[in-house]
Amino acid sequence: MATDTDIAPAPTETDHHDHPAHLQHHFVSSEQQFDSAKLGMWLFLITEILLFSAMFVAYAVYRQWHPETFVAASETLNVTMGTINTIVLLTSSLTVALSIHYIQKDEVKKCIYNLGATLVLAGGFMVIKYFEYTSKFEHGAYPGGMFDPHGGHYAQLADVPFASQFFSIYFVMTGIHGLHVIIGMAVIGWVAVRAWMGSFSSEYYTPVELTGLYWHLVDIVWIFLFPMLYLI
Amino acid sequence: MSDDGHHILPKATLLKVFGGLIFLTVLTVAVAYVPLGPLAVPVAIGIAATKATLVVLYFMALRYDNPVNALTFTIGIIMVMVFITFTMIDTAFRGDMGNVDRQTMGEIEREQEAAQQQQEQIPSEQLRVAPADYPDDRGADAGAASGDGDS
Amino acid sequence: MSTDTQNTAVAQPDEHEEGENYLNHETSVWSWLSTKDHKRIGVLYCVTLALVFLAAGVLALVMRAELSGPGETMMANDTYNQVFSMHGIMMVFLFLVPSIPAILGNFVLPMQIGAKDVAFPRLNLASWYVYLAGATLTIMALLWGGVDTGWTFYTPYSKTTGGGVLWMTSAIFVAGFANIFTGLNFIVTIHKMRAPGMTWNRLPLFVWGMYATSIVQVLATPVIGITMVLLILEQVLQIGIFDPSLGGDPVLFQHFFWFYSHPAVYIMILPAFGIMSELIATFSRSRIFGYRAIALSSVAIAMLGFLVWGHHMFVSGQSVVSSIVFSLITYLIGIPSGIKVFNWVATLYKGSIWLQTPMIYALSFLFLFSIGGFTGIMVGVLSVDVHLHDTYYIVSHFHYVMMGGTVVALLGGMHYWWPKITGRMYNETLGKIAAFLIFVGFNLTFFPQLVLGAKGMPRRYATYADRFTELHQLSTAGSGVLGVGLFLVLGYALWSLKYGEKAPANPWGAATLEWTNVAALPDPHNFKRTPLITRGPYDFHLADEVFGGGDGEADGDQGLRVPDAAPAAPLEPSRDA
Ligand code: HEM
Ligand SMILES: [Cu+2]
Repeated sequence: MATDTDIAPAPTETDHHDHPAHLQHHFVSSEQQFDSAKLGMWLFLITEILLFSAMFVAYAVYRQWHPETFVAASETLNVTMGTINTIVLLTSSLTVALSIHYIQKDEVKKCIYNLGATLVLAGGFMVIKYFEYTSKFEHGAYPGGMFDPHGGHYAQLADVPFASQFFSIYFVMTGIHGLHVIIGMAVIGWVAVRAWMGSFSSEYYTPVELTGLYWHLVDIVWIFLFPMLYLI
Repeated sequence: MSDDGHHILPKATLLKVFGGLIFLTVLTVAVAYVPLGPLAVPVAIGIAATKATLVVLYFMALRYDNPVNALTFTIGIIMVMVFITFTMIDTAFRGDMGNVDRQTMGEIEREQEAAQQQQEQIPSEQLRVAPADYPDDRGADAGAASGDGDS
Repeated sequence: MSTDTQNTAVAQPDEHEEGENYLNHETSVWSWLSTKDHKRIGVLYCVTLALVFLAAGVLALVMRAELSGPGETMMANDTYNQVFSMHGIMMVFLFLVPSIPAILGNFVLPMQIGAKDVAFPRLNLASWYVYLAGATLTIMALLWGGVDTGWTFYTPYSKTTGGGVLWMTSAIFVAGFANIFTGLNFIVTIHKMRAPGMTWNRLPLFVWGMYATSIVQVLATPVIGITMVLLILEQVLQIGIFDPSLGGDPVLFQHFFWFYSHPAVYIMILPAFGIMSELIATFSRSRIFGYRAIALSSVAIAMLGFLVWGHHMFVSGQSVVSSIVFSLITYLIGIPSGIKVFNWVATLYKGSIWLQTPMIYALSFLFLFSIGGFTGIMVGVLSVDVHLHDTYYIVSHFHYVMMGGTVVALLGGMHYWWPKITGRMYNETLGKIAAFLIFVGFNLTFFPQLVLGAKGMPRRYATYADRFTELHQLSTAGSGVLGVGLFLVLGYALWSLKYGEKAPANPWGAATLEWTNVAALPDPHNFKRTPLITRGPYDFHLADEVFGGGDGEADGDQGLRVPDAAPAAPLEPSRDA
């Protein structure tokens, strides 16, 4: 950029440059600000991954100790609902990716539609999750100490040792994942409103991009949870 | 790092990736009904990992992003592997410390030795080497010694 | 860069200018509570952490007082359990882990790389507030009946005891975010905010130390967060992951806990390494020996530190295979630590050593950390640790590294940067006396504990067998000396705020940017103009060339040679990533 290294007499600050409104004073350029925000987001994402990792470790350990229990218990989960939810979440990942695609091309309206679609899909995911949870609670498939399976195909679990561990892990993992979905919905809603107010353009769309990254991570966690809990 | 993360992914790519993800989802559900035995877990996790890779590379555009971000992500994944592997080095071999009672290792070893010796008790007839060890056959030879051994 | 860039270097910031600085440009309480200035946030953290250190330190003195005699001397056993638990928890989670990054990292790091601020100033302020929320939850834990589990919260005991545990675990969960925010911020700052010319090979070693620390903070802290959440769920929902009576596995908790807490000891020591490199280079006025080895060994420690957590679990019932593996990798950790110590010693060799207070702390550190490191390797040996685990030997080991290492380095760093933070000099004579008292008091307190541990004195007991009495009393006496030294520091530090001599911009003749290019009391934006970096952080000889000045003839405070300021960068610098 700066081709001339000749130096003007030092003005005290660089204020006289015309800066875009979104540029914070301690950054030199939008580019620097965008790169920083993005690296920050990736770092945040790995903290999320490590947050989930402890639960994956717990899963791995208990599965290795009690494989038959995990097979028996996972058969009581509803594969249809799980599959639908997987597809719903994958689609929401697509829409959020599209919203970034459109804002990069300055098509603000389409960006907002896609964010809206993401929000709806995320809501759908939570609704399905709600039905799954309640059907388990009805049959006493609670986590851990309150585990008391009865009725339907849950009854057989009463005789399976350590089945309660499976459900503890199931509820903790999907619960914390669900919490992330809800947080994601709030953030997506906020970004959509800001987009609607015209804050973003192809010049500046960092919040859209970062929200997208977060949402994809939520999706990735589910991509693993689905086979682990429902299928194997 | 073609242009510092401002790469615009074409809509066609996004749709193709999405198609791939749906296909893999259907595949993993279908495969779950095939009795694969011990392969079931690795196959399911493998498919999930493929899906996750697609999302990371394309939806999250890591493929076109600044390499620092890719490095960051990779280190995170490596740490998860480390966490799982090293914990399982314990849990998979839990209780390999055979000796948990009051006997010392030395005592156990001695006991085992004794037991082994007992097992390998060599029958007395095999220990006979010298002619004097064969009192029964003595009669055949012009025996010299007294016939005290037999009755 | 063209040569004319050099010629237009800004004039040295005027040393006695009574202009605007980061302290006086706005002074209301609100301006402090809403500040996004990394320097002010560092000061906020400094005050808060000093209070925590004071509280936890007083608890330590109380413990030593209880142990002045074999029987029950001043408190019930249960009270003692609570006192040592709170001492450990506060010292580790609320003081040592945030300490150096949050105070000195915040204050110094952006200046050292020539940045106006950290990458995310608002997140930085949020970190302090989140920390305060954690501290508040800690107070709630005290009100709710306290915690008597020790700082390790081992299950199943932690599941069954006291309501305070719930509050305390939430406090640690929350305070963890404060550390994550700081670490994340620093990584991005170091990657993206460096001034033009500040290549990776020109980063001051304090920055490298902070970089390695931040990596560990970002990678490890989430795990303690989720562990604490699982412990809370264990209590509230009986999820049975850790509780053996529900089919869970208590050793799994230890894995989770130490996956964080071993790396956490590197969160505590790596910044201390960083400070050490600064002090040793500046006060021996020589180029640091093995710059690259020191920088990269920090990163190596950060990574290797993730592979050894099982050495805390040798007698927990984990499999012998894993004990052996963890023991072997633990030996490896000694290598990068050793590299550093050798490099510092090599830097001292033929340097012109200037024994100011910060340097005395640096030399104390060399000695104390070496003992801490060697005892660490010893207890890393599987068969030795079976005997020494849970004895005073361990207590002594980790105090040698955490107090003798981190706290001593922090004190050294505070003295070193005190003129920059406050604009005042502390009293050098009192400083030396205090440093001496701390060194003697520390060894008197903790060396006897090595002996005690080797003789079989178990840790975490309020009473002990008569034959341990003399050594315990020696230790208690030492803690008194240590306390006097620390209070002396507090006293003259506060005194200097008002009565201390005004500090020049670069009292130590150091060569890093916060000394050469920043006014005595920093400008709110750090630099009048963004500097252009043309030499390494410890290239005293290059800095001297500009100044002239022979070799070693101007030691001491008379005729201190002050390195030249870095020239200003062109106005619209082309940024290299
Ligand atoms: C030279 C490198 C080091 C090695 C090889 C090492 C090794 C060990 C080992 C094997 C233990 C477990 C002993 C036991 O519980 O039986 C231990 C305990 C401990 N170490 Fe280190 N260590 C080193 C450096 C450090 C550093 C730098 C710190 C902190 C700044 C530290 C802090 C601790 C703490 C806090 C404990 C005790 C935890 C507890 O049980 O309460 N260590 N160390
Ligand atoms: Cu350790």
